[in-house]
Amino acid sequence: MAMNESQAPSLAEKLQSLPKQVIYGILLVTCTVPLFFSVKLPNKPIDASIDFYGQTMKLPDNGRVIICSDWTNSTRGESKGEMEVLLKLLMRKHIKFVLMSIGDVQAPQVAKDTIREVNALEKLTGGTPYKEFEDYVNLGYFAAGEGTILAVNNKILSIAQGKKDFPEGAGPKDALQSPVFQGVKSVEDFNMFYLVTASSTNRTVLERITKCPLMFMVSGVMVPENNSYYAAKQLKGLCGGVKGVYDLETLMENGINNGSDSVESDLYRGEKIPGWPGKGNTGKGTAYYLALHFALALLIIAVIVGNVGMLLSKKGSK
Amino acid sequence: MNFLLDIDPKTFWNAPNGSFELYAKIFIALILAVAATVGMLYAPPQLRKWIIRLVTFGSGLFYVMFWLFPAPIDRQPTSAPRNAVETFSFWVSDSQLVVASLTNVISGFLIGLGIYSLLRVHLGRIAKQQRDWAFSAVLVGSMVVMVFFGFGDWIQHQDPKNFILADQKNWGLINYGRDLLFDGLLQNMDAGMFSIVAFYILSAAYRAFRARSVEATILLLTALLVILSLMGVVEFLWSGFIDKISPTNFGMHAFVQSFKLSAMSGWLRSNVQTPAIRGIDFGVGIGLLAMGLRLWLSLEKTGGEG
Repeated sequence: MAMNESQAPSLAEKLQSLPKQVIYGILLVTCTVPLFFSVKLPNKPIDASIDFYGQTMKLPDNGRVIICSDWTNSTRGESKGEMEVLLKLLMRKHIKFVLMSIGDVQAPQVAKDTIREVNALEKLTGGTPYKEFEDYVNLGYFAAGEGTILAVNNKILSIAQGKKDFPEGAGPKDALQSPVFQGVKSVEDFNMFYLVTASSTNRTVLERITKCPLMFMVSGVMVPENNSYYAAKQLKGLCGGVKGVYDLETLMENGINNGSDSVESDLYRGEKIPGWPGKGNTGKGTAYYLALHFALALLIIAVIVGNVGMLLSKKGSK
Repeated sequence: MNFLLDIDPKTFWNAPNGSFELYAKIFIALILAVAATVGMLYAPPQLRKWIIRLVTFGSGLFYVMFWLFPAPIDRQPTSAPRNAVETFSFWVSDSQLVVASLTNVISGFLIGLGIYSLLRVHLGRIAKQQRDWAFSAVLVGSMVVMVFFGFGDWIQHQDPKNFILADQKNWGLINYGRDLLFDGLLQNMDAGMFSIVAFYILSAAYRAFRARSVEATILLLTALLVILSLMGVVEFLWSGFIDKISPTNFGMHAFVQSFKLSAMSGWLRSNVQTPAIRGIDFGVGIGLLAMGLRLWLSLEKTGGEG
């Protein structure tokens, strides 16, 4: 009995050696259960997200942009929400877009699936769904990203030459015949270049697109790296991870400097930027923000438990 | 593939559709490509090495020229070069589009090379029934099935009469097969694989993130602040508390307000994180430049010519 007692692990040891199955189990539960509850949590959007929203809202209605969609479902928790919120913004402002990918062969199909889903959502809230070829044109995937992006900056029409797109209710047509390209001579005819990515294509774009303003939507782990470019004003705005998506959803609901519930920001002092209150603004950001809270809280608790165990064991050894 | 197509303005690299010039250029390009391939096949190894070096240098030289050679400012489609420098500059600028297309084509060949390599390794393993050959069979089988349904669906979409496929009600076996394999399986497995990272991060943070030294403690506390600032509820409650205790005296008010989570994490981002990342990027950039030079000048031997 005495022998057993001397072998029993101390509290310090227990705290430092929780079985990984227990940790994994707790994570699974804490990340899954919140997904069943759509809770609107208080939020203060960060400047990068406010700029992203503000600059997009300042684009002319019926304008024209490029979306380089380089994400796949491996990061759908973050990237899909970003793509959805971007599409909602563009559709509500009737901005046409060119869709292209340089990051992954799966990316164009994943983006098309998301457009279809957002179309259905917008239809439910009285919006007008986007038609392929008419409102957006899909150039597909380009294997050599560096050269292609350089060509976009140098002469955008050359990368669309010979590409086909599929208008609704008709066979494939030359992408350059799309209304999106009408009147386009260079990349300067586009109001913005958006990049939705979870890979290193951010650098490819940043280093090569010089004739068109840039805004990035990146995964959470890429925020520190890209924040450097936002701080240097190379990016007009930046949306990062689930927090960025939730920021944009908050801004779409309330607007900027737009009344009692709106987000107050010194970045747009003296300007009122409206939102679309009650028009289906909740999406992946709202759905996942609570789960993110639980996951981050669990991370903090796990680190504290490990450190308390370490301190206790140090104390015990003295 | 857009080079040699009828692109405006006319350059060295294109020609009107159906013209003799276009066909002549295609023919010359074909002859040159065949000659280069045959030449490489029969060249002695020592000479082949030098051909590879020359091609590598030429490819790199093009982009060095593109970035560094003075480009004409505000060139219009109708602009004509005024001297030899501008003629060369225009040529480099026009050629970039062709080079971009060529790199896309070469990348296409790389996929072919990858498939060949994959089949060679795994079919050999299946034929010899080596260890874990069943996994190889699953891999090859999955590839064949995906290629079959993927291409089948793509070919159907190329037919103008098949625009009805936009509506799921008109789908056939091929379309459902592609949907099941791509959206139903591949995409979800992709998401599943990546989500596993969360488990490793949590486990690693719990086991390794310890305040063993002053540096580690500083890192731990800054990470804690940034994490807390991402949690809207915590940020909201803490801001409310700060507003409540904030004195009316202007100097003290500003001082206490700077303890809001958003202010602290913002300061950390702007004054610690961003400069640190810029410093790291600068070092990485210099390293990449040195590596690029070594590759361009064929000085890098590892992993290349043996």
